[in-house]
Amino acid sequence: MRKVFSVCLILAGLFMVMSNAAFATDELKIGIMVPTTGSEATYGKDMENAILLAVSEINAKGGIAGKTIVTVTADDACDPQQAAAAASKLVSENVNAVVGGYCSGATLPTLKIYGDAGIPIVLTAANSTKLVSANPGNTFLVNSTGDDQAITAVNLFKQKGVKKLAVIHQGDGYSEDLAKLTEKKGKEAGIEIVAMEVVNKGEQDHSALVTRLKSKSPDAVFWTAYYADGALVIKQLRQNGYMKLIAVGDGSNSPKLMEIAGKAAEGVFCFSNPTVEYLPSAKAFGENYKKKFNQEPGPYSALSYDGMNLLADAIKRAGSADKAAIVKALKATKDFNGIAGPIVFTPENKLARSNFVVLVAKGANWELNK
Amino acid sequence: MTTDTLVSRTTGILGLIETHQKTLLVLFLAILIGIPAYANNYVLEVLANTWFYVILCLGLNIVVGYAGLLDLGYAAFFAVGAYTTGILTSRFGFNFWLTIPVAMAFATLAGVIIGGPTLRLRSDYLAIVTLGFGEIVRIAARNLKITGGASGLIGIDRPHFFGTELNQISHYYFVFLALALLAIFASYRLQHSRLGRAWQYVREDEDAAEAMGINRVAIKLYAYIIGAVFAGIAGCFYAAKMTAISPETFTFSQSILILLGVVFGGMGKIPGVVCGAGALVLFPEVFRGIGSMRLLVFAVVMLLVMLYRPQGIWPAQKS
Repeated sequence: MRKVFSVCLILAGLFMVMSNAAFATDELKIGIMVPTTGSEATYGKDMENAILLAVSEINAKGGIAGKTIVTVTADDACDPQQAAAAASKLVSENVNAVVGGYCSGATLPTLKIYGDAGIPIVLTAANSTKLVSANPGNTFLVNSTGDDQAITAVNLFKQKGVKKLAVIHQGDGYSEDLAKLTEKKGKEAGIEIVAMEVVNKGEQDHSALVTRLKSKSPDAVFWTAYYADGALVIKQLRQNGYMKLIAVGDGSNSPKLMEIAGKAAEGVFCFSNPTVEYLPSAKAFGENYKKKFNQEPGPYSALSYDGMNLLADAIKRAGSADKAAIVKALKATKDFNGIAGPIVFTPENKLARSNFVVLVAKGANWELNK
Repeated sequence: MTTDTLVSRTTGILGLIETHQKTLLVLFLAILIGIPAYANNYVLEVLANTWFYVILCLGLNIVVGYAGLLDLGYAAFFAVGAYTTGILTSRFGFNFWLTIPVAMAFATLAGVIIGGPTLRLRSDYLAIVTLGFGEIVRIAARNLKITGGASGLIGIDRPHFFGTELNQISHYYFVFLALALLAIFASYRLQHSRLGRAWQYVREDEDAAEAMGINRVAIKLYAYIIGAVFAGIAGCFYAAKMTAISPETFTFSQSILILLGVVFGGMGKIPGVVCGAGALVLFPEVFRGIGSMRLLVFAVVMLLVMLYRPQGIWPAQKS
């Protein structure tokens, strides 16, 4: 008896999994793929909230061409295997499109799964350059990829009349990549790279580095790594009389930099993803978000909100819920103005402009550089 | 109902299953082969994942269950296999099938590297060394150029099998099912071999085993190597299935998860380990509907199982 019971239980569980695919013609099914469990769950939840906010606003206005949007959230747990399962689940549930994607590593293997099913996917946070080369044609990135930060940085340096640039990184994948890219883009723009230095993590005394840098008299110093060590480098540069431009990468985008470096950080430039607090046009969104979820929007909320609205816009332009038509409409996106700026795609379906914003340290806070 | 009757009843059912083993096995196998004709891709994806963990858990079972050596870095061997295939196919244009023997060789080497220096260590110390080994492999993969650094490798070629490209999830369902069956068969044969008995002896009493003429060093090394080869082969096919690998897959929590499958199911008992691996994958998926709470439910279920069946779902009977 007991055996029959347990077998029934297992079968019931399997049926629960399989029988989820419901169909309704007056509904548009949108899949949300974000990590809602695991170490990145907070970011995933922020993204999901922003998408749900966009959906409720669209539905309140009568949906898209009379169709209401329903969402299915699939947790990828920031893990490639779970992401593959989540993607297959969304495909099995016949979603019309997918929005989300936080961890690049977990998102990568799902692109093919969506691609095989022809489902359009709008990635609102994941931004590895590998996603661009692995794109089967249905993927659209609304976040700038890493190399765009180098472009924003070089633009700032040129605007400030920098001729000689010193770059410092910490030898890890992220900061080294950014440093190398900046070197490449800088050279293309006619900026001379006078120094390319590596600092070990956790080092306290940077006097040797500072002396070496001063002897090369750069017009700007670019720190591509993280705030904890960056703050010390900035402090010691200023103490030793280097008074020209200092810029830091998005890894140092934290108020802690000012906390550690104190007055020395004043006027330091920083590059950041477009987060709600630095976007003038995202004010209403930020307030609605706080009202609905009783918390501050996260770093990728604005982009996720834009991603969902872009998708809705594309479906409206496509005039049908047909997946191929949506992909075509997304590709043809021309004058879509999101709260994080306009969205236009390159032929590779990545954002045509760098969406990094330039911040400047004022007292204990970062402010948008105008 | 008291705990005792519950335990004896469940043991009774398990006994019943054991007596009708052959018929049940044939029936079960027929169902497994028939599933792809009816199930959707999601179910196949989850089941393929289950078979995959069955292979890994059985491999670890050899080290932990049979030889009694605690290994907290098992994901490293799996990483060795996955990266061997990934690097050889994507950077050197190797045929996928040719990478398997290479991966086996590297896994063997990794088994010797971890097994060699740790032979004299016991329990806690061994656990720490294996943990360190697991982390070393992951961090090396994260920082080396050839492994693609933190973002890993992409564009790993899909293998061809007699002219068909294995690119559907149903293909991988069968691939992993076949590998899991092979792993079960190999585990079964190993368990009842001279080597298997030697492992058991060493596990129960190392000194007595040595006194009886068992080469302790060789026996333990074999356990590591064979366990590593299981994971290495699983890793090859994992790389082929995902077409992209990154160091995040081979974290400490992955090693723990595999160990969990072994302990949860019942150390040293093949059907137990298979059940454990299945539970590991199926539980979080079945409860996907309840969202972020699913891992909490999973944890509670696991605690209950451990409370009422401390030896695992289907433990080995000690004679």
